[in-house]
Amino acid sequence: MRIARETMHFVSARMGTSLLVWLLVGIALALPAGLLLLQLNLTQMTAAWDGRPGLSVYFELNATDAVVDQVAGILEQEDAIEYVEVTSAAQALAEFQSHTGLADALELLNENPLPASLRAIVTVGATVDALQAAAAAVRDVAGVVDVVVEKTWMERVIDISRVVSRLGVILGVLFGVGAILVTATSVRLAIEARLEELRVLKLVGATEAQIRRPFLYFGAFYGLGGGLVAAMLISLCLVLIENPLASLLGSYGKDLETAGFDPVFLSGLLAMGGMLGVAGAMLAAKQRLSGLQIL
Amino acid sequence: MGQIEFHDVTKRFDNGFEALKNVTAEFAEGSMTFLTGHSGAGKSTFLKLLLCLDRVTRGQILINGINVTQIKPKRLAYYRQNLGAVFQDHHLLSHRNIFENVALPLRVSGMRDKEVGRRVRAALSRVELLPKEKLFPQYLSTGEQQRVGIARAVVTRPKILLADEPTGNLDPDLSRDIMELFRQFNEVGTTVIVASHDRALIESMGTRVIELANGKIVRDLAGAPVD
Repeated sequence: MRIARETMHFVSARMGTSLLVWLLVGIALALPAGLLLLQLNLTQMTAAWDGRPGLSVYFELNATDAVVDQVAGILEQEDAIEYVEVTSAAQALAEFQSHTGLADALELLNENPLPASLRAIVTVGATVDALQAAAAAVRDVAGVVDVVVEKTWMERVIDISRVVSRLGVILGVLFGVGAILVTATSVRLAIEARLEELRVLKLVGATEAQIRRPFLYFGAFYGLGGGLVAAMLISLCLVLIENPLASLLGSYGKDLETAGFDPVFLSGLLAMGGMLGVAGAMLAAKQRLSGLQIL
Repeated sequence: MGQIEFHDVTKRFDNGFEALKNVTAEFAEGSMTFLTGHSGAGKSTFLKLLLCLDRVTRGQILINGINVTQIKPKRLAYYRQNLGAVFQDHHLLSHRNIFENVALPLRVSGMRDKEVGRRVRAALSRVELLPKEKLFPQYLSTGEQQRVGIARAVVTRPKILLADEPTGNLDPDLSRDIMELFRQFNEVGTTVIVASHDRALIESMGTRVIELANGKIVRDLAGAPVD
C-alpha cells in the first residue's frame, strides 16, 4: 500500500506528463477497441438477420393475386427456398399507414399506391448459386417488376465485418506495441528520475523485485488511466455518431442498438490497458535496472 | 578462523588496472580495523568487494566461512541486508526525511511499521539526531548528515559495519565524534572496518591498522611490514 501511495504521489506530482501518457495510451487503445466494438455490432446485425440471404420480389401495381400466388408457388418449389412470406397490396398499405401515421392522407387516394411483394427465406446452407437460380426463375414472370437478392448488401456487411475484424487485430497489435513503448518510455524516465534512490535501495539490500515493483505500479497506473481515456473516447465517438448512424440504420428498417459497450467491455478495456502498462514497465525495468551499478 | 577472511584476493578492472593484488587478511568477530593508504591504494575496492558491489577477479572472500564471491545475484540483496555501510557522501535521499532515510533498510527487509519506528528512533537517539527526525537531509550540517548515514547503517543491527572515508568532509572535532560512534558500535560486538587516509585520527584510535599501497597490504599495525 505504501509503495502504491508513493507511486500515486509520483504520478500526481508529474500530472502534465501523466496526462500525456494517459492520452497516448488511451488513443492507442481506443482505435482497436472501437473497431472491435464495430465488428461486434456488425456481427450482431448480420446475426439478427438470421445469417441467411433472402429474396424479395416486387410486383407491378396492378398485379393480381393470381400472379403473386404463381410466383410464390414457383419459389416454394425451389430447394433453396424454405418458405415464402407474401405481403399483399392491402397489407402493405395497412403497414404503411400504421408506421407513417399518414392514414388520413392515404384514405384520400382513390386507389392503393403500393404494390404487393413477397419475401422468400432460403434454407440453411443454401448456396448462392441456388438462390440466384431461384431469382432467375421468377424474374421474367409477367407482373414482376424487380427481384432483389438480399445477399448482396448483407454479404458486403459480412465482408466489411471481416475486414474490420482483421483490421482490429492488426491495429490492436500495432497500437498495443505502441502503448507498451509509450509506457516503457515514461517508466524509463521515472526510473531515471529515481536512479539515485534505486542505488541507495540496492545498497541497503532491496531485492530486484522490490526495486522493480514501484515501476510496475507506474505501468499499471498509466495503463489503467489509458484504458479509462480510451473508454471515454469511445463513448464520445458513440455520442457523436449516434444520430447519423440511427438515420442510416433506419433507412434499412433497423433500430440503433449499440451492442458490446457494456461493463464487460469496459472491464476488458481497463484490464488490457493495465496489462499493456505493466508489460511496458517490465520492459523498461529490465532494460534499465538489470546490472544497475550501485556506486 | 576469522569472521571475515580475504584469501589471495585480486581485483583487476577491464582496463587492466589491478586495484588489489593477492590480498590476504583476516578480521576477527567484534574487531575494529582501519584500512589506510594513499588515494588509489585499494581501500575502497577492498570494501566494495566485501559489499559485493564488485566481483573479485581471483581469490576468495569468506564471511563466517561462506564464500561471498560465489553468492548468486538473487541472494545478494539478502547478503547486503546483513551489512551496514557508510560512505563519505552519505547517499541520503533528499526527498525523504531523516526518519524515512534511516528506515529504508528496515522497509526493504519487510519489517512492520511499529517495529520500524522503534528501531529508527533508537538509532537516531544513538547518533543524537532524534529531535531532527522530521527534517530533510539538506537542512542538516555535513556532520549531521554523516550521523544519519551511520544511523541508517546500524539500524538493522548488522554484525559487520563498513565505512569508506566517513570523515572525509568533516573537520577534526566532528571526525573524532564520528569515530567515537564507530567505537561505541564496536564495543557492543559489531565488527567495524573503516577506510580512511587520516593517519592522525587513525593513530589516536589505538586499534588495528592495515596499510595498503598499490593494491597490496604493506603494513599491519600488529605485525612487521609485509613484503
